[in-house]
Amino acid sequence: MNIVVCVKQVPDSTEVKINPETGHLIRAGVPSIINPYDHAALENALKLKKAYGGRVTVISMGPPQARSVVQLGLALGADEGVLLSDMAFAGSDTWSTSYALAKGIAKIGKTDAIFCGMQAIDGDTAQTGPGIAQQLGIPQVTFCEHVDIEGKNFIARRHIDGGHEIVEARPPVLFTVLVPREFRPRWPSFPEIHGSSKKPYHVWTAEDIGAEKHYLGLKGSPTQVSRIYPPPQRDKAEMFTGSPHEAAEHILAIMRKGQFIGD
Amino acid sequence: MIEVSKKCIGCGKCVPVCPFAAVQMVDRLAVINEACTLCGACVQVCPVKAITINREEASARRDLSSYKGVWVYVELMDVPGGHGKKVRPVTLELLSAGRRLADELGQELCAVLIAEKNHGWEKELGEYGADKVYLSEHPEFFEYNTDIFSTAVIGIINRHKPSVMLYPASIQGRDLAPRVAASIYVGLTADCTALAIRDGLLVQSRPAFGGNIMADILSPTSRPQMATVRPNVMKIDEPRPGRTAIVVREEIKIDKGLRRVKVLERKLAHDKAGTRIDEARVIVSGGRGLKTKEKFRLLEDLSALLGGVVGASRAAVDMGLKDKTHQVGQSGTTVSPKLYLACGISGAVQHIVGMKASDIIVAVNKDPNAPIFNVAGHGVVGDVHEILPKLIDSLKKKGK
Amino acid sequence: MPSMDAISRGLVLDSLREYAKRRLPYDVIRELDHANEFPAEILKEMYDPAVLGVHLLMIPEEYGGVSGGTYDICRVCEALARIDLGIATGVFATFLGTDPVNVGGTQEQKNKWLNRIARENLLVAYAATEADAGSDLINLRTRAEHVVKNGKIAGYRITGNKQWISNGGVAHLYTVLAMAPGGPSWFIVERDMEGFSPNKHEDKHGIRLSNTAALALDNVYVPAENLIGLEEGKGLMQAQAVFGYTRLMVAAFGLGAGWEALEQAIRYSQQRIQAGGPLSDKQGYTHKLIVPHAARLEAARAYIEYTANRLDGGGHGLQTEGAIAKYSATENGNKAAEDAIQALGGYGYTRDFPVEKIKRDIKITCIYEGTSEIMEMTIYRGRWQEHLKSRGRYHLDMADGMDRLHTDTHDCGAYAAGLALRALAAVMEECRVQKLTRHQHVTFKLGRLIALAETAACFARASAPGRYPDSVRFDAAIYKALSRVYAREAALTLAVEGLALVLGASDNSSGLDAAVNLPAVQEAQKGLIADMDLAAAGLKTTFKAK
Repeated sequence: MNIVVCVKQVPDSTEVKINPETGHLIRAGVPSIINPYDHAALENALKLKKAYGGRVTVISMGPPQARSVVQLGLALGADEGVLLSDMAFAGSDTWSTSYALAKGIAKIGKTDAIFCGMQAIDGDTAQTGPGIAQQLGIPQVTFCEHVDIEGKNFIARRHIDGGHEIVEARPPVLFTVLVPREFRPRWPSFPEIHGSSKKPYHVWTAEDIGAEKHYLGLKGSPTQVSRIYPPPQRDKAEMFTGSPHEAAEHILAIMRKGQFIGD
Repeated sequence: MIEVSKKCIGCGKCVPVCPFAAVQMVDRLAVINEACTLCGACVQVCPVKAITINREEASARRDLSSYKGVWVYVELMDVPGGHGKKVRPVTLELLSAGRRLADELGQELCAVLIAEKNHGWEKELGEYGADKVYLSEHPEFFEYNTDIFSTAVIGIINRHKPSVMLYPASIQGRDLAPRVAASIYVGLTADCTALAIRDGLLVQSRPAFGGNIMADILSPTSRPQMATVRPNVMKIDEPRPGRTAIVVREEIKIDKGLRRVKVLERKLAHDKAGTRIDEARVIVSGGRGLKTKEKFRLLEDLSALLGGVVGASRAAVDMGLKDKTHQVGQSGTTVSPKLYLACGISGAVQHIVGMKASDIIVAVNKDPNAPIFNVAGHGVVGDVHEILPKLIDSLKKKGK
Repeated sequence: MPSMDAISRGLVLDSLREYAKRRLPYDVIRELDHANEFPAEILKEMYDPAVLGVHLLMIPEEYGGVSGGTYDICRVCEALARIDLGIATGVFATFLGTDPVNVGGTQEQKNKWLNRIARENLLVAYAATEADAGSDLINLRTRAEHVVKNGKIAGYRITGNKQWISNGGVAHLYTVLAMAPGGPSWFIVERDMEGFSPNKHEDKHGIRLSNTAALALDNVYVPAENLIGLEEGKGLMQAQAVFGYTRLMVAAFGLGAGWEALEQAIRYSQQRIQAGGPLSDKQGYTHKLIVPHAARLEAARAYIEYTANRLDGGGHGLQTEGAIAKYSATENGNKAAEDAIQALGGYGYTRDFPVEKIKRDIKITCIYEGTSEIMEMTIYRGRWQEHLKSRGRYHLDMADGMDRLHTDTHDCGAYAAGLALRALAAVMEECRVQKLTRHQHVTFKLGRLIALAETAACFARASAPGRYPDSVRFDAAIYKALSRVYAREAALTLAVEGLALVLGASDNSSGLDAAVNLPAVQEAQKGLIADMDLAAAGLKTTFKAK
């Protein structure tokens, strides 16, 4: 069983603000973290490894400091790490990112399953996983709550609009994983981190993975960001303060006015 | 261009999977004819990777001006209780948004309907704005499947070349659209909350960083310009009774082998009243301030009296006060009821992005500085534990 | 010791923070603080190599540890202090207790004890202090007497009392300093040895999660192989050898706890609305209670990291530097915590907010591992020698370095730091000429002034381009503004107080007023408010209200 897990380093989204004058993101003091969905994907993959054996490879694309999320995967139990890092990748949208990751995964070798987070908290697109699956020509199961193995096949419980379904897929297949309820991510201990710095780790450039440069970076990306700006603010609420009884009457009046209740 | 290399071993696996009968075996080698739409179904099944699509040529070949029309992917949903399927309301939202874009461009609005069997849906689609319905019927379309549906959609796109294509940002749309985009090398913007035309290009606005910023995205060099659009964000225009759409039938062959993922079991959770939270007219929602499961039941009483559905903030779900299907927000469901009553919800950004499109928002919170009051139209400063029982009492008395 | 790579260090800090987030929310800590309780379960978990294995940081790899360097250990100490200074002290006590073995142990002793500490997750205590012997260890009363068998020294019998020993009541292993016939020596004492008994846990002002107890040793028999280094009389040297970096760890405690308090104040100030606007927008608040402390703490950080990197690079001793780091970080941290209470007003005075506890906790950092006054003396002594040896050039050379830095980078505070150093050199020279160091007050005050001028220089160097440390959480423009604010304060204090110091000790200052260059120092104050405005705004965006 060979599993590849795709991880991304993201800024802790809740703290990102925009400078109203320049329109640039204020990133100072915003810590970088592993995308929480990827953390869940990683733990699902490592659970399978623990139960059924096999080899887990962690791959990411990003600047050199993105090594941090790859090494986190190694510290948690993955066997090998790969970082796709090259100026040629800079500015890639989800299409180009999927293309590069698919090339990287192809270079890793025979793969039975690919695990991705359902989406990344900085972009929330949920496009990279399916993009990789299409590039590699393998099926996908998106929005998985949990993936397990039964015999030679994978069984996944996936979220659908208004409920869930249980699906079965033959390898090779790509899963995108959401963060399970009450997910308590595991963090590595000091000796695990120390050991992880000695596990096999590779930095691959665009050339290493045989990616064609015209598909990469800003130029290769079919989408372009034309403007970023702060979300529009609504007007302040019309405020009411009074006794609980008065407050209830006030709310009833609003409901009557909107014809949610009769007079 | 699509090419078959010398690696071809003549196994013939690619022949049945082609949806457009574009592959034949000639002298035990695969040969691809002009019916090919570059959908890639054959590439995926070839065991020796003998078939390749050179996208560079494919995109260079593109004459962008020949791509015309605004398309909307029609999502079908099961009618509760096993009564067949119906068009999901979000599709109508997309038709309303698409209609405006099509008018701006002076082009047609088309719906793409992939179904086991059409049930006269072109009438409904027409009333809500579609000029044309590309309809593909096949028994294998009995339920959504990534490989089968993406193959069909890619084929129809390659044949008819739309300029814009919109999908709902539902689970299905978000599963399908990136697959299509990856295959045909076009731009795709996720989760749009506003769409407009500027200089002939589709301007796609979307929130990023958990709703902390907005971004405008363009796809200037590829067609169709594709976007998924958040449900409950676009308003549905009044239907025009009697207006109908022309049906264009698309013949597509689907091989059973394309179904690589099988659904073993499906369960849908419905609220007691049978209304789904994203389609509710009234939502009574609670947050951390409710503190216990018992207190949360007050919301259910109130919601029952109003004929609404109960919602919950992420904090409330994490505390186990309500299950995840009721969660409103970025990581839950986006809603836009006529009335949203927020009780004891402070208003984290991730909650606000999921409910701010509601018509009337009433918020009750002890803290006068709670961010929820920035989006609410009506703010009530007070303790939900004291106000809710009074509200319920009054409504009960009225009912008698 | 070799240093970890930056990525591994970052992961170590992440894991520690995540552990604290999960297991040690404020209400848990508050409860333990109130109950004066040592969280044995928490410490056990923190030592568990499957959870954290925090004690492994200072044990070399060959003995089962993870070979953390001084810089790594400082960063971890800072992070621990942000969680709780009592817990931090419990961990630190193991570090400290292991030190005599690390520094003075024979190969065989290291093999045996370091491996055991690593493998068995042992809590260790460092037992030096006695009722009459603190920093002045020469008054040691605890005795170790030979036990001779077959004409050979088979072991020692130790008798005496130790005081205020961190982990005293809970450790498995103790390194005990005792007077052997050959002089002060370290011995390894195990908890279950006969005649050894810890006293009750002290009721302290702060760090109440740290177990502190007195130890009674009544004729405790220790085999000869437990004499660290197998040689008597090396104890004080071994103790001194580690001060450079043990004091750096305490400095990191002051930095971490001080910043934690300050951060609480910065976040609070954005929520509290007064007279129509948040406190964070009012200079009367930020420029008094926030910005100066941020500048002083960052200066201390720059100095800690400079010293840690020198130690990791093979530097030895660095006792004066260790003292400057500890003195600056703990005194500045203590004052920042005090003002954090002020910044939170009535809330700050209650136990509902953590600043009250931080203020109680952080005071210990000005006391243990050498009080601030011992630091002033140590700093003075070290630099006075340098001053004499260099014929007054020591700080002037440093000032020339600042002037060169200023030519390249005009906005990093180097100019004012240079003024501070020149004023310092002039004051020290005047003290030499007039023999003023016969006054103890002059020497201790010089210690304070030296620390101020040298940290300003260090801060200016750290904020020059290309040197921006990865431990700093706000952007370079704000960092430089803080350096300028601090350098101005240093220059002004040096000139005014240096001159006053000399005048107070003699009636003749013979042109010192010209040498401290007060007009230039005052001219350098220009732009101070603009810099403080910039810093206040930057701190607000960096530490947003939650």
